[in-house]
Amino acid sequence: MDDTQPSTKQGIDQVSPATKPRRTLKLGQRAAQATLAFLLCAGFFLSLFPWGRSLTRSAFLLPSLISASEPAPLVLGGDPVRFSRITISSANGPVFLDIYEPATPPPPIPGGREAIINIVGAGDNRNVPQLINLSQSFAHEGIVVVNVGTPTLFQYKVSAQDGEAVVQAFKLLEHWPGVDSHHIGIIAFSVGGMLACVAAADPRIRDRVAFLAILGSYFDATSLLHTVGRRAQDVNNHTQPWQPITTSLYVLAITVSSLLTPTENKLLQKAFPLNNIGPPLTAQQQAQLSPNAAAFYHLLEGDEPGSVDHNLTALSPQIKTLLTQLSLMSVIDQIRAPIHLMHDRNDPSIPFSQAQEFAAALARIHHPYDFAAYGIFSHVEVQPNLGLAQVLSDGTKLFQALNSILLVGS
Amino acid sequence: MLILSLFWLLIGLLIGALANAAKLRPAAWVHGGRLGMPGLGALVALFGGWLGTLLLGTLFATATAIWIAVLGVALLPRLITWCNAWLQARSSVP
Repeated sequence: MDDTQPSTKQGIDQVSPATKPRRTLKLGQRAAQATLAFLLCAGFFLSLFPWGRSLTRSAFLLPSLISASEPAPLVLGGDPVRFSRITISSANGPVFLDIYEPATPPPPIPGGREAIINIVGAGDNRNVPQLINLSQSFAHEGIVVVNVGTPTLFQYKVSAQDGEAVVQAFKLLEHWPGVDSHHIGIIAFSVGGMLACVAAADPRIRDRVAFLAILGSYFDATSLLHTVGRRAQDVNNHTQPWQPITTSLYVLAITVSSLLTPTENKLLQKAFPLNNIGPPLTAQQQAQLSPNAAAFYHLLEGDEPGSVDHNLTALSPQIKTLLTQLSLMSVIDQIRAPIHLMHDRNDPSIPFSQAQEFAAALARIHHPYDFAAYGIFSHVEVQPNLGLAQVLSDGTKLFQALNSILLVGS
Repeated sequence: MLILSLFWLLIGLLIGALANAAKLRPAAWVHGGRLGMPGLGALVALFGGWLGTLLLGTLFATATAIWIAVLGVALLPRLITWCNAWLQARSSVP
């Protein structure tokens, strides 16, 4: 096109000393053309194709998750975020919703926005910096995020009835301005996995849940108690020592509290306080416990690892029923949405073996799922000061999981 | 949006410079053509960025700015040259 520069034929001159610069020139021209062709294809793919759009979103989101802070490109290139805190009612009591949403109207392509319901674990985690960062990052990407909390969860109790709160949040999002009702998924952390599965199995919404992503959840409450009692878990047929953190013991103790006497509750909460290691009960204090409560105490205390099966058998029928109700076994076959399972190998709150049990159960019923084991999380939060090798290895897996989640609304 | 707009202009300038290197500049653009291509790239990228923002959202605006700028520097010079030639041919007809 450019008549000031030599043509291709002029450039082919084996004898001339000017051959080398001309060849370089030709090579430069080809390289520039190839770069432009690449930029055209990449730009077109990343902005217009659903797969490309989800890759773009994942690429923006991943640094935000790993660094636990919003990177400048996401803040600069993303939507401004609006926050609101509302309370709705459900059959099981009030439901507290923290809503992070883009402040701009949804763009014409693809139309409606994707929405994500976050169910965070036991306790009031609404102001945890990493949760706020995650919610804001999703919202910068044009996704409406709702963090669900219930009075029961705030009290560190786990209740299957709280699934109703998630159903109500889902129904609210279906009519939320700008949200595409077919692009609503659920992300659950820790014990929130139980609420997520109960909701995703609910006939009122189960056919419309786009995906279920579960990080650091348990699967079977009885086998969880078994692992806690043994202070060991079986991973890939190898027994590994496992030490639960105090929060896990507190949650287990408080969850069964309604089935114990006030005296037993008082003693158990003294032995398993929330944020520090309580002193073991004395023989005199243990004598005040019923055989059922004593068995439960020894399971939590981990002082009878050889009698775990015996102690589990000694639990009252009410506690056994509660453990069954709190297990996901009974609901997973009613879930329609694909499940993305994520768990840290060294999770000190809920053993990794629970995720393996979950994955095995999903495989048995041929439910669509994927399972990724990580090393960058401390239970459900990203650890600080990660090594490059760890970031690259786990970052790739996290990128794939994010891509699956974000593809839904792209 | 100001920073993003400046970023798109910069991307357009670079794409225009690449178009020069790729010899996409028409033969007719002898005078000022070397500067014309980056300028055209910058303008088209800015247009692409804003179009991307309106149609796809801010997150995809930069990718849109890139492919529209490449398309612009590849096709617009040809189109402008062809239009000029056509207009000249028309005006020269008695």
